[in-house]
Amino acid sequence: MPNLVTQHPEDGVLLRYIDGELPGRKLRQVERHLKACWQCRTEVKELESTVAGCVRYRKNVLQAHLPDPPNPWPDLYQEFARIDSSASGEFHLVAKQLAARLVALFGGAAKQFGSSKVRQWGVALAAALVLVCAIWYQFRETPSVQAAVLLKRAVLAAEAQSTPARRVQVRTRVAQAFLPVKEPSLAPLRARFEAAHFNWDDPLTAKSYQSWHDGVTAKQDAVTTVPDPQSPALNCYQIRTVAAEGELATASLMLRMHDLRPVEERLEFRDNEWVELTDITDATTRDDGASVAAHVELPVRPVVPSRPAAASGPASISEELQVLAALHEIGADLGDPVEVNLTDGRVVVGGVGIPPDHQQQIHGKLDAMPNVTVQFSEGGAGFSLPGGAGFSLPTAAAAPTSSGLPALVEQHLGGQAEFEKFSSQVLDRNESLMSRASALRRLAETFPTDADLAVKDREVLRAMAREHAEAFARELAGLDRALNPLLVSLGGSAAPRTATATAPSWQPAALELARAWHRLEVSVSVLLGVTPGSAPAGQLPSDLLAAMGEVRADVDGCLHLLAQ
Amino acid sequence: MSVSSAGENVVGILRQERTGSALQDEVAQLFVESRQDVYRYLLTLGLHPPKAQEAVQEVFLRLYATLKKGENIENPRGWVFRVAHNHGLKVRARQASEEAFDPALEACLVARTEDPESGLIERERMVRFHHAVEGLSEQQRRCLFLRLEGLRYPEIGSALGISASAVGEFLRRAISRLRKVRDA
Repeated sequence: MPNLVTQHPEDGVLLRYIDGELPGRKLRQVERHLKACWQCRTEVKELESTVAGCVRYRKNVLQAHLPDPPNPWPDLYQEFARIDSSASGEFHLVAKQLAARLVALFGGAAKQFGSSKVRQWGVALAAALVLVCAIWYQFRETPSVQAAVLLKRAVLAAEAQSTPARRVQVRTRVAQAFLPVKEPSLAPLRARFEAAHFNWDDPLTAKSYQSWHDGVTAKQDAVTTVPDPQSPALNCYQIRTVAAEGELATASLMLRMHDLRPVEERLEFRDNEWVELTDITDATTRDDGASVAAHVELPVRPVVPSRPAAASGPASISEELQVLAALHEIGADLGDPVEVNLTDGRVVVGGVGIPPDHQQQIHGKLDAMPNVTVQFSEGGAGFSLPGGAGFSLPTAAAAPTSSGLPALVEQHLGGQAEFEKFSSQVLDRNESLMSRASALRRLAETFPTDADLAVKDREVLRAMAREHAEAFARELAGLDRALNPLLVSLGGSAAPRTATATAPSWQPAALELARAWHRLEVSVSVLLGVTPGSAPAGQLPSDLLAAMGEVRADVDGCLHLLAQ
Repeated sequence: MSVSSAGENVVGILRQERTGSALQDEVAQLFVESRQDVYRYLLTLGLHPPKAQEAVQEVFLRLYATLKKGENIENPRGWVFRVAHNHGLKVRARQASEEAFDPALEACLVARTEDPESGLIERERMVRFHHAVEGLSEQQRRCLFLRLEGLRYPEIGSALGISASAVGEFLRRAISRLRKVRDA
């Protein structure tokens, strides 16, 4: 009840008011009072200020100083699978009870008819019913769900990660080649893939497998764990799908367990022909990192003339650029797998696994724009991937290491706690660098040349690219400051950089930057023990310093070209 | 159990399996978003880090199992903190022979050396604030920490076994004490 003299709300009411805990009538009463009373309005501000102090305390004390978890967080999906299998135990219990009931039912019916033969048939029929149900459930439904979940996760992981260059070996019964395939002798293979509704242009991806998998209605899946064919110390998930329809009889896909990257795929056709695809990027990079780059080509894009945006007529590159700039303004070009495509005269914006609040923000920004369709799949039920978190990089202790370097790093840093703090800082910075490098690469791939663009469009595009490159350079300087003293103390020395050919424009420079960054990122992961390395441990500090110098030179070169 | 109810159970389980993928995604997403917060809350409850981390995992698996059974949970984050609080108390009771975990936050605050100029005043303010938080009653502190995690009064009340109006009163007292420190 209000104080009768002053009519000020009682103690505690204003806190409940700002916390939204007052019932309707009381709320209106307090609102009316606040409009009239300066004293209480000031009191509300004071309370909010104390609440802000609490929030700062949470951030600056609790979040900053309570120790991090001692172990990497587990993959909850594996635990879900365990719960599901115990639920399947429940199913068996239900099935057993159902069987007992059916037996009793048929047994009763048999008694009624007085025939032992009928009773036997009844029991057999009940048992068969339960058995069929159990087999159907056990071998068709659960692994299908597992396979679908795994594929979905792998697709999200691929979208969150930067994979600048991949080298894929294709083997058939009679031929061997590397993707992208140029040999005319493999043209019939493309036709086979097309007939089987399997994406030939990028076959060794979770997305392609998923797309084929989802299109087959009658199928049987199995998910197993197998050793990684390239690094037997690591494990892979293997999804194997037997299709009852379509050109493909069986398909299997191996996904590396720690980052869900597809490493091997085997497709068997109905006429017993087969194709094997193997990702040999790592092997190639180890031997000759630069040679991988030679196989990367800028995607071919139909040329659509640049013109000012108009409320009617098909969408142009200008409108696509405006969409990209709008997404850039709200940071939606970083981290989230938002796709922008210019198709059939419309700019189509979509993506899978975008959190609902981001979707809403994107809708708010783009819905009013002409010729733009915003369409998200999966209703936002996917993962939240802030900056690619979740699947981009496992924590430092997640993977076994082949060299003793992480232990040495730990010793240099002064113990495990310091090492974990250091690696978490470096990995955070890596994520930020990766999102900038990916965003820059996407722009370079989408607009391989900006010479044909209108001046205004070119400025918008370059401003976005410049912003990403500048942010990348800043983050890189931070990474350099963190790593350099450690690498020097580990005996690393930076070799003088040999002069490289200057790129003709910022787009190839941006693609080269993305590749150089990928090499650096892999080396940093090896240093921290996140990824096992193959090079001698003693060489890594110098290699890392050299890779850092290369990335620095690339980003400087890119910025220089963007300033022209 | 009648044949029809057994059949319904079977159908129910199969239906759940079909929607299991979306459910797993939802729980996994909440896990990624909230695990650090729940973990830290359990540390403030006195659980040692490995136990707190185990407890967090356990809570999210319980959430999954509960949702899988078809139970409706209106605010999963609130549910998670409520279950974490109760589970945390049980774990702490089991580790009664050990000392409760002491994160030595004050020592961390005093040892902070980065950003010496602008950081000094804020650091002193935070040390004072920390003392005041330490000086709150256990109930006031629990209410404050759970409110900081975004729980509403009835949810906090449900976690602590008290009424929503009692939560309001504990919070009022807590805020009133902290305000004095802020003004000091």
